Amino acid sequence: MSEWLQGAIARGQQVQDGFSDQRAASLALLQEIKWPNRKTEAWRYTPLRAVERSSAQIKELSPELEPVSIADLQFLELVFVDGVLVSLPEELPDGLVIEMQESSLFGTIKPERHIFGLVNDVLAADVAVVRVAAGAVIEQPLRISNLMSEGAEGHIRVLVDVAQNAKVTVYEHAESQSGSLTTAYTEFRIGADATLEHYRFALQSGNQVSIGGSHFCLLERAQLNSTIIGFGSDLQRLDTDIIHRGEKADAKLNAIYLLDGQELFDLHANVEHEVPNCTTEENVRGIAADRSRAVFNGRIHIHRDAQKTLAELNNRNLLMSDKAEINTKPELEIYADDVRCAHGATVAEIDKKALYYLRSRGLTKGQAQVMLNFGFINELIDQMPNPTLAEWVRPIIRERFAQMEVK
Amino acid sequence: MSNSNVLLSIKDLHASVEEKNILKGLNLEIKPGEVHAIMGPNGAGKSTTGYVLSGRDGYEVNSGSVTLDGEDLLEMDVEERARAGLFLAFQYPVEIPGVSNLEFLKASVDAQREARGQEALTSAEFLKLAKEACKQVNLPVSFLKRGVNEGFSGGEKKRNEIMQMILLQPKVCILDETDSGLDIDAMQVVAEGVNSQRSPERSFIVVTHYQRLLDYIKPDFVHVLADGKIVKSGDASLAKELEEQGYAWLQTEPREDELED
Ligand SMILES: Nc1ncnc2c1ncn2[C@@H]1O[C@H](COP(=O)(O)OP(=O)(O)O)[C@@H](O)[C@H]1O
Ligand SMILES: [Mg+2]
Repeated sequence: MSEWLQGAIARGQQVQDGFSDQRAASLALLQEIKWPNRKTEAWRYTPLRAVERSSAQIKELSPELEPVSIADLQFLELVFVDGVLVSLPEELPDGLVIEMQESSLFGTIKPERHIFGLVNDVLAADVAVVRVAAGAVIEQPLRISNLMSEGAEGHIRVLVDVAQNAKVTVYEHAESQSGSLTTAYTEFRIGADATLEHYRFALQSGNQVSIGGSHFCLLERAQLNSTIIGFGSDLQRLDTDIIHRGEKADAKLNAIYLLDGQELFDLHANVEHEVPNCTTEENVRGIAADRSRAVFNGRIHIHRDAQKTLAELNNRNLLMSDKAEINTKPELEIYADDVRCAHGATVAEIDKKALYYLRSRGLTKGQAQVMLNFGFINELIDQMPNPTLAEWVRPIIRERFAQMEVK
Repeated sequence: MSNSNVLLSIKDLHASVEEKNILKGLNLEIKPGEVHAIMGPNGAGKSTTGYVLSGRDGYEVNSGSVTLDGEDLLEMDVEERARAGLFLAFQYPVEIPGVSNLEFLKASVDAQREARGQEALTSAEFLKLAKEACKQVNLPVSFLKRGVNEGFSGGEKKRNEIMQMILLQPKVCILDETDSGLDIDAMQVVAEGVNSQRSPERSFIVVTHYQRLLDYIKPDFVHVLADGKIVKSGDASLAKELEEQGYAWLQTEPREDELED
């Protein structure tokens, strides 16, 4: 077992609050768990050296940090600094409650197999529970900011319960300064006929370690539309689980990663079709430049009863240098016979016809290539349901992209 | 043959695709301001001519020469040919989702202006031009914001090609079946777009199967391309003749690659 994990367990033993029972159960699991190494399938391409070597520490006193403001977008803000919940919205719209009370949701949607999820179970100091009442339509998006100061360690946890027929937008936002280490897990229950619009952006890069997950359970006819955007860092790992537990639920997940330098980004996306008649559409696109490395694991598990499932997963990658690496692995487990399931993963060449078309209008090969590569990512940004957020993030992606060199 | 006043000169051009000879001695001379219609059966090499002239990868020139304004066209890269004033309106324009039409058009026009030693337009100046061009080809301005040809209908794609031609102000325009699949109204829009661009300096090669387009765009010459070379040339009346007779008269000599098609 690693020293880092031992330290985490020791600290976890001192945490006492309303979630003690659940924390104790996770602690027991952690004490048994094997620290992942290269032979551990879920961590095969993502070494944990960055965690083992991290000197990040829980801070007694954290600086005041504020999340970036976005023109024309007002959020209901939930701000964590170094793992501590420092601010809540002053006023909440009807139908929305945020409390710090114990909740049976804790740990029921996030699967136990995520080791850092267990660490988070044990160490997340302030567990915030967001409840959207039945039928409530919350117009203003809720932003959960995870702000990490230099060298800090912090663990955040948010549970979101969207009751039936309700509608809400949740945007998970992360900003980390150098040398920090964070785990950030959210669990969402999307009730019958309810709609969740979700974003998770991790646009920082550098020597931070950031590990987390967004986990969704969909009940009857629930709808999820999620957009994930990640830049890499020393270690950036995200697990998503989409669990279809009610019939006719519909999930759409678009994920983008843009990696440069020696960055690493690892996305594990798991979909469980437990019941019939649900649909999933996943589009995952990434570009890796220089010596960066992307890992994408897309698993779709269609249970025996889940007839008439429609599941599509498409992963496309572009390599901008011969030293960049993409490890993409599809995992299909289908136990029902009447389903439609498509799964494709490619490390794409640039579209030659499109390149010719652009050049035939006078664009240089280099210009055309940049335009096409950006377009490849931009296509998913175009699909973001919130246009204001899309217009905010597009130039950030463009700038990031402009720095990435074709080698 | 006087070369003094020739804009585009194609001499004994032989070209192949994937080892298959397609153009087998193409000759064509176009003076500034002229409109040449090219007709001919499917598979004759009409689109191949456009691709070879524009420099598409995989289209191999085996012999012959092409000059544009006296410059050796075949020596140039694809983008250099465009910057030298060659424009091909594609038979099948390419869809490029994620790349905004406006951004693409601006970059194309910037490239063109750079080649002519003109200053780049500001975004506002360009937007104004682009909006006017949209109006001219009867495309809603909202098409500027969409991905290049993304989800456009066949007719909208063709009109987008003509819009590009209007914005780029090329010297030689090759229109490859720009009228195919268009209803009569859309075809008129295309024809008006082309006619608005006719000038003593600008020349056109109009590839079409239909006489009706040539009622709107009056050609100076009509050529029949068959099996990789021009087998007959005439004035506008030839198009009418072809419409009535079809290409059956070509069949007297069987094509050598006929069995492969
Ligand atoms: N990429 C290709 N590979 C092989 N053969 C091709 C290719 N493109 C065109 N051809 C062949 O070249 C011939 C001429 O095609 P094309 O120029 O498209 O004819 P047209 O436009 O006159 O109908 C046809 O026999 C066609 O099958
Ligand atoms: Mg053709």
